Amino acid sequence: MNVAERCLSRRGLLKILGLASSGIAVSRWLGPDVTMAQGPPLGKAIETFTGPGENSHWNSVGPYLTEPQKAPLILLTDRPVQLETPRHYFRTAFTPNEAFYVRWHLEGIPNAVDLKNWKLQIEGNVNKPLALSLPELMQKFKPVSLAAVNQCSGNSRSRLQPRVPGGQWGNGAMGNAMWTGVRLRELLDMAGVKSGSLLVQFQGLETGQGPKGLGSNLFLKSLDLGNPVLDECVVAYLMNGEPLPMLNGFPVRLVVPGYFATYWIKCLTWIRVLDAPDENFWMKTGYRVPDTPRGNTNPEDVKAGKVKMVPVERFPVRSFLISPDGSSKIPAGMNVTLRGIAFSGFGRVNRVEVSDDGGKSWMAARLGEDHGAYSFRTWEASWTAKSPRRYSLAVRATDEKNNTQPDEPVWNPGGYLWNRIERQEIVVGDQS
Amino acid sequence: MKNRVRAIVLVMCSLVMVAGVVYADLKKGYYSPAELGSMRQAAPMELLPDSNYQAWAYAVPAVDLAPGDGLQEVQIYCNTCHSPRYITMQPPLPAATWEAEVNKMNKTFGAGIPEDSTQKIILYLQAHYTAENRKL
Repeated sequence: MNVAERCLSRRGLLKILGLASSGIAVSRWLGPDVTMAQGPPLGKAIETFTGPGENSHWNSVGPYLTEPQKAPLILLTDRPVQLETPRHYFRTAFTPNEAFYVRWHLEGIPNAVDLKNWKLQIEGNVNKPLALSLPELMQKFKPVSLAAVNQCSGNSRSRLQPRVPGGQWGNGAMGNAMWTGVRLRELLDMAGVKSGSLLVQFQGLETGQGPKGLGSNLFLKSLDLGNPVLDECVVAYLMNGEPLPMLNGFPVRLVVPGYFATYWIKCLTWIRVLDAPDENFWMKTGYRVPDTPRGNTNPEDVKAGKVKMVPVERFPVRSFLISPDGSSKIPAGMNVTLRGIAFSGFGRVNRVEVSDDGGKSWMAARLGEDHGAYSFRTWEASWTAKSPRRYSLAVRATDEKNNTQPDEPVWNPGGYLWNRIERQEIVVGDQS
Repeated sequence: MKNRVRAIVLVMCSLVMVAGVVYADLKKGYYSPAELGSMRQAAPMELLPDSNYQAWAYAVPAVDLAPGDGLQEVQIYCNTCHSPRYITMQPPLPAATWEAEVNKMNKTFGAGIPEDSTQKIILYLQAHYTAENRKL
C-alpha cells in the first residue's frame, strides 16, 4: 500500500471528514460565523443604455473594449472609435497613455504611419512653406514639456436634461498628460506668416466617406492668429514621455492648453495659415455654444432662434471625487481618505472643498503637487462617517480667476460645458 | 547664376510639395469584426525595426439592433460613414429628434440616402428608439 492509498483509505477519509466537521462546530462555538448564510446575490451587468432621465453613473454605461495599444476602456462607438476612461484611472495626476480616452469624428483613422513619408506641412499664407519630418521636429527645435488636461467638449453629456444626441459620455472623456514637443509659434515664425492673415487651420490624417467640402469628409479646426493661446500651443510628439498611441494621434498632436480637445488635432499633418474666415462645418456649425453665462440656454429659446452661438473654447473649472466610488460600504467610525482631481481651463485650481451633507457645509481639501496651471491637480481629505446611513459627498473647486463650480445644471443643444458640482452617494454601515 | 539658384529652389520646393502628397500611402480606416465582452487579452503585434508604425485593425463588434421594417436600410446607409452603434449609444430620443438627425446626415453631411429609404430609416428609429418604445 503506498502513501496515497493509505491516505485515501475509506476509514481515513471518514476520519478526515469527522475532524473537519467537528472543526467547523468548534469554530462556530468559539466565535460568530462571519460568512453569509446563503450564497451572495448573483452579479449582474450594468444597463445597456440610460435615459430619458440623466445617466446616474459616473462613467458611461457601455461594455469594455480593448483597442490596439489601449487597456480595456468603455466603448461608446467603434467606427469611428470613441472610448471612455474608467473612473479609477483618475486617482493620479497623470492619465496613463493606454487608458487615455479616445474620440474620433470620421471613420478613416490611420492604422499605420510610415515616418519615411510623413511630413508636417506648414502652408497657406506663409512666406516659406515647410515640410518637416519627425527627426527634424525633434532636432531642429528646442523641446518643451507641459502638463495639460485634454477634455472633450461633450464630457458628461449624458447628464443633460433633456438629453441631447451625441456621444453619451459619462465623466471619463478627459485625461491629463505631460506633452513634449515643439512650440507652434516657432513653426509659424519659421514659415513666416504673411500680413493680412486671419487664422491658422489644423488638419490631421483622419478622413471620412462624405463628399469633399463637407464635414463628413475632413475634420478641420482653426484658431484666430491674434489668439494668445497660440503662444502656449505645442506640437507634441511625446505623451507622458512615450510616443502617442495611434488612437491618441501618433506621430504628433496639437496641444492647446486650457482649450477643449476639439482643437487638439490628432495625427496633425497640415498647419495652414488662412487669409479668409474658416467656413468649414467643424467651425461654422459644429462645436458651438450659446453666447451666454456658462453657455446655458433652453430648448424653447433655441427653437425660437433667440440664441447666438459661438465656438466652444476654454473649459470651465471642475472637480471629481475618484475614491471611494460608492461601490462598497464604509464602516461607521473608520477614518478614510477621500481622493480626487480638479482642473480649470482658466488657470490654476487653488481651492478644493468637500461636503458630506450634499453641499450644505464645506471643508477644505489638501491639494497635491502643482504640475502647472493646465494640469490635473490631485486633492485629498480625511473623512470619518459617524453614523450608519447614506451620505451625499460633494466636491467643488475654485480656480485662480475665482471661478467656482456652481450647483446649477447646464443645457445647450450640443451638450457642452457641463461643470456642475459632482455628488457621490456613500453608504456607511454599522460597525457592530 | 541667380536664375539658376532660383530654378533649383523652385524644383526643390515642388519636390517638397510632391513628397507632401506621397504620404497618401498611409493606411487608414481598417476595422475588423470582434467579440464584445470577451475577456481574452489582445496578442502583441509583431514589430519590425523599420519606419512603418502600425496598430492592429480597430474592432467592430456586432451591434444588437431592434428587428423591424427599415433595419436593412439602416444597415446599408448608416453604416457607410459610421457603425450603427451610433444609434444604440444614444439615449431614447423624441421622434422629432430622430427625424432631424437623419435629415442632418443627408443635408449637412451629404449621405445621399434616397428619399424612400430616408423615410424608412426615420420610421424605424422612431419605432424602436424613443422613450416610449426603446427596448435594446
